[in-house]
Amino acid sequence: MSRSIGVKGKRINWIIHAILIIGALIMVTPFIWMILTSLKTFGETTQVPPVIFPKKIQWHNYSDVFGTLPFLKFYWNTIITTLAKTVGQLFLCSLAAYAFARIQFPGKNVLFILMLTVLMVPGQVFLLPQYMIMVKLGWLNTLQALIVPGLFSAFGTFLLRQFFMSMPKELEEAAKLDGCNHFQIYWHIMLPLAKSGLIALAIFTALWSWNDLMWPLIVNSSPDKMTLSAGLASLQGQHLTNYSLLMAGSVLAIWPMILVFIFLQKQFIEGIALTGSK
Amino acid sequence: MMKKFSFIIVALLLVLTACSNSENSSGSSSGNVTLKYWIWDKNQLPAMQDIAKEFEKKHPKINVKIEVTPWEQYWSKLETAATGNSLPDVFWMNGPNIVKYASNNMLLPINDQIKKDNVDLSNYPKALVDLYTVEGKHYGLPKDFDTIGLWYNKKLFDEAKVPYPDETWDWAKLKEAAKKLTNPSKGVWGIAAAMENQSNYYNTIFQNGGTVISDDMKKSGYDSPETIEGLKFWTDLIKDKVSPTQAQMTETKPNNLFESGKVAMMFAGSWMQIEFAQNDYTKDKVDVTVLPKGKKRAVVIHGLTSVISANTPHKKEAWEFVKYLGSKEAALIQAKTGTQIPAYNGTQKDWVESNKKFNLQVFIDSAKYATPLPISKDTSKWWDLETEYFKKAWGQEMSPEQAAKEVAKKMNELLSKE
Repeated sequence: MSRSIGVKGKRINWIIHAILIIGALIMVTPFIWMILTSLKTFGETTQVPPVIFPKKIQWHNYSDVFGTLPFLKFYWNTIITTLAKTVGQLFLCSLAAYAFARIQFPGKNVLFILMLTVLMVPGQVFLLPQYMIMVKLGWLNTLQALIVPGLFSAFGTFLLRQFFMSMPKELEEAAKLDGCNHFQIYWHIMLPLAKSGLIALAIFTALWSWNDLMWPLIVNSSPDKMTLSAGLASLQGQHLTNYSLLMAGSVLAIWPMILVFIFLQKQFIEGIALTGSK
Repeated sequence: MMKKFSFIIVALLLVLTACSNSENSSGSSSGNVTLKYWIWDKNQLPAMQDIAKEFEKKHPKINVKIEVTPWEQYWSKLETAATGNSLPDVFWMNGPNIVKYASNNMLLPINDQIKKDNVDLSNYPKALVDLYTVEGKHYGLPKDFDTIGLWYNKKLFDEAKVPYPDETWDWAKLKEAAKKLTNPSKGVWGIAAAMENQSNYYNTIFQNGGTVISDDMKKSGYDSPETIEGLKFWTDLIKDKVSPTQAQMTETKPNNLFESGKVAMMFAGSWMQIEFAQNDYTKDKVDVTVLPKGKKRAVVIHGLTSVISANTPHKKEAWEFVKYLGSKEAALIQAKTGTQIPAYNGTQKDWVESNKKFNLQVFIDSAKYATPLPISKDTSKWWDLETEYFKKAWGQEMSPEQAAKEVAKKMNELLSKE
């Protein structure tokens, strides 16, 4: 009896593994394709049917991209932008979220709805007004133009507010009895408890910031103020794009994110599973 | 706790101040002027840099800063900058967008400057000078031009024992050859009938005596039988199965089919020569000739120019630069890189010689009977219409007559509002 269940269980395990392996292969194919393409000649990238393995590995594609674009500058700009935006959002959004979740003040609901409307409006609508603000501030072509508009987000506030709402009121009351003020409650009680929510927000913010293309391209023009994504886009010509160079650049652009993912895998999955979105 | 909190704030502030107070764009006390020059094609950057360097040598007090925005985002960026009143001093402009920017007073007319400095406009093809003249005002000196040619794969022609195309070809001859070249067992088609306006159907429309838009930019030409026949030329090629279907060409770009020896012929612009010369397969197997004749010879011509922002504080310096960009010297620098045919008459020979693999002279010769790319104030709006309806005609879901009439109706509505 127990034996047969064991066999059955094993078989199901096998099936699950097979499905997972297929899924993993599907997910990893674009990455492998990107790496293969980055090592091909220009002619090989445009062949139909496609050439899968390059005849001769073209390592020089990598040094070529490094030669044509100021990659170190791109890395620096992207890392600074991403870090500043992530830290800023974690801090500012959690402060706002705490207020919305726990403090009673007049006009709170109106304010909250106002903030939610920001969530509902597509980002492109903000492009022009935000650009005008940057013009007025004289911030075109600067790093702070990349950072400041992304220091706060309605999404982050909403996400963390839901987190704080779900926490037992008793904790807060106990802290109050011990003489904590609002800020102390927020800092000592709420933040440590909301760790997984904060991590989820950090992941989203970092990813979005790393990949953001339109805003950096619109607001900054000179190569030494570009981020990786915007700099890479400039590898595309009007009539002619050298795909092997573009892919070599892309590989160079994503490896830091892949490294971060490998090191923070556990937190990533926890954080994303928790919010139930992607 | 408070320490941690203030630490974060200080850190944030530090980041902000670290990246602020960096540069104060242009102009400084020493009398030096920096001009910002926006372009969209990375492949032309080296030529533009060489030209800027030569210019700076002649004008030591003017610096030129070239900034590339990729084609896909260039127009959104330009429009945002125009709205925010922060256009660069000098920037690239094309035919479909010139009327919009000129009529919204975003560009500096250069009539007076041309007169004062005796710039001879007869040095450029007239079609291009006219393209950048809006309501009698000149906005730019033509930088380059492109025309369309019939590219063909010599190897596939040899295998099918079909003589190479030449200037004696007409539409019938092309169709006949396409049939002979098509070999379904090998997966080879005679021609790629892609749904492209500038490269494909505008040419056949003009060859058939049709029009796309009236000269006063008020009326669509798509309801005329001549125009419709120019479209049918292409849809028939797909119907006769001598071209890949619309679906197949959506999946794999016609360029790539041509570069892999899957189609024997295609209409393509002079700009493709660089790609074909760099590609291991096409570099010694393809060549180019003039487009086949319809009722008459015709080809679409288009070219760029560099315009000056109406609001630039450096009008004088910007004009000096634009004048140099339009000079023979700049044209020669550009010609050698092979990327674009320079517009300055007499410098095209250098472009032809930049690549001896292909018969590039045909692009220069056909400029003599060329028709400018049709445009209006809001060109992109009816270009979208073309795509929307002709996609159906090319996909054989709608007859070309029906698609053209729909486009004519909606295009006339759009034009009446311009």
